[in-house]
Amino acid sequence: MIRQLSIFIQNEIGSVAGVTSILKNNNINLRAIASFDTPEFAILRIVVDQPEKAKTLLINSGFAVTMSEAIAVELEDKPGVLHDLLQVIADAGFGVNYIYSIVFRNGEVPLIILNTDNLEKSKEVLIEKGYSIAEQEDVIL
Amino acid sequence: MIWAKEETLTRQEIEEIQFTRLKDTLKRIYDKVAAYREKMDAVGVGCEDIKSLDDITKLPFTVKQDLRDNYPYGLFTVPKKELVRIHASSGTTGKPTVVGYTKNDMDMWTECVSRIACMGGATADDVAQISFGYGMFTGALGLHYGLENIGASVVPASCGNTQKQIMYMQDFGATLLVATPSYALHIAEVARDMGVDPSKDLNVKIGLFGGEGMTEPMREEMYRLWGSDMKATQNYGMSELIGPGVSGECLELCGMHINEDHFIPEIIDPDTGEVLPPGEKGELVVTCITKEALPLIRYRTGDITRLFYEPCKCGRTTVRMENISGRSDDMLVIRGVNVFPSQIEEVLLNVKEIGAHYEILVERKNYLDTMEIKVELADETLLDSYAKLGELEKKIKFSLKTVLGLDAMIKLVAPRSLKRFEGKARRVTDLR
Repeated sequence: MIRQLSIFIQNEIGSVAGVTSILKNNNINLRAIASFDTPEFAILRIVVDQPEKAKTLLINSGFAVTMSEAIAVELEDKPGVLHDLLQVIADAGFGVNYIYSIVFRNGEVPLIILNTDNLEKSKEVLIEKGYSIAEQEDVIL
Repeated sequence: MIWAKEETLTRQEIEEIQFTRLKDTLKRIYDKVAAYREKMDAVGVGCEDIKSLDDITKLPFTVKQDLRDNYPYGLFTVPKKELVRIHASSGTTGKPTVVGYTKNDMDMWTECVSRIACMGGATADDVAQISFGYGMFTGALGLHYGLENIGASVVPASCGNTQKQIMYMQDFGATLLVATPSYALHIAEVARDMGVDPSKDLNVKIGLFGGEGMTEPMREEMYRLWGSDMKATQNYGMSELIGPGVSGECLELCGMHINEDHFIPEIIDPDTGEVLPPGEKGELVVTCITKEALPLIRYRTGDITRLFYEPCKCGRTTVRMENISGRSDDMLVIRGVNVFPSQIEEVLLNVKEIGAHYEILVERKNYLDTMEIKVELADETLLDSYAKLGELEKKIKFSLKTVLGLDAMIKLVAPRSLKRFEGKARRVTDLR
């Protein structure tokens, strides 16, 4: 499992830049980022190399931030692999809440970051099927 | 047409009636309502001290809080079994303002509204569509009984479902509309969108507007949309006093005639409580002198207005009150519903997932009032999913709807992003 930060973002010009400037100024490396075009507000999800430090800095700057776990699965860069993975989770009867990815890993295979309605069981099922699950150390490159 | 002879009495005749009725009411209240007795005893005034109409100023005021403190029936002068109707207006959580009517009160209410309907040009020939919300609010049923009483055909359309309202108007041949002025303007706009020109394709020639004040620009807009020949009048009332029927405009449009044989108006300085001379602007205070169930004495309405005692060109001699120009407190009127920011605050403070700061924005969009409330997210665990944040918004909306009877838009904002105030907080922005 890896740790992700979920940050409350208002639909205003410069609001995401407000987050990234804090990361930049404190030399925190952003490994993955996801947000969507919701009308009123957004939840910005990020994976960074120093999650605790980033969380404290963001909270001190007035952001609402929560840290939670997500599954990071190693996937080869070829057609159909994501489908196979999602089928495993669907067959086990779990729902996927959201997906994003870490593509650049210095020669390593990309990571797909997943949140499901049952993280522990989803992880077990994936391990059973031979998937390799990354830990927090694996994203600090 | 003038409905009742009481509308054309001389000043002396009116005052004689008022004094007799005040004495009777006061005696009954002093005997039957402990809360009033205590108030009068506290300032050392007995019923025998009221020797002339002017002595009314010796009596203590009644305020909305008195109704809340004596919830639900504490200020009533009759046993519960004599009530034939109970209404309530939105209050703070769990404690609305409750008002009750005996059979005689209902007759008196109907009489007062009948007069106001006639002032506004209504006759037995009218088909009257009532587009006030029916329910616990007094507006719809008050106009309903009064209009039936003068012989008009009443269509109890209630509010909402505007396209159907327009269909009723067309199919039933409505000639008279009862609505808040902003809803009446909205209906006209929707009709135009449907390809119906209200001034040509509808037969509505009389508008009896209430629930909120109608400014002169709104009246001009009413003529523009409904036709320049519309008789667009407004009337005034509040549930604590009776509901609609306290006063109404005649077709001369020079103030709202108060039904003075039932209500004694005074104007006071809202800060000192001192009575101001005729013509001066201040807070309207009303004493009910014919009600049985809940006759409030010197009730502070919170509405700012002026009184004019000169007889009107219409033939009525009753005192006229100017269009309400403001409030002595922070009450907002949103879609005809009275809303105190403190009610909103009470709801918000009970929601633990948000912070204590909030901002209220009231706007008028397409003639309809909207209220947006910004609240700060405090519980960051909800950031797990959009669904949890959506549920929080829904929960706040539902609580507000329960307390206020109004839909509000909730806007979640980041913690510490709302303005902080060092002095008196200004949390309400009214852009209307």
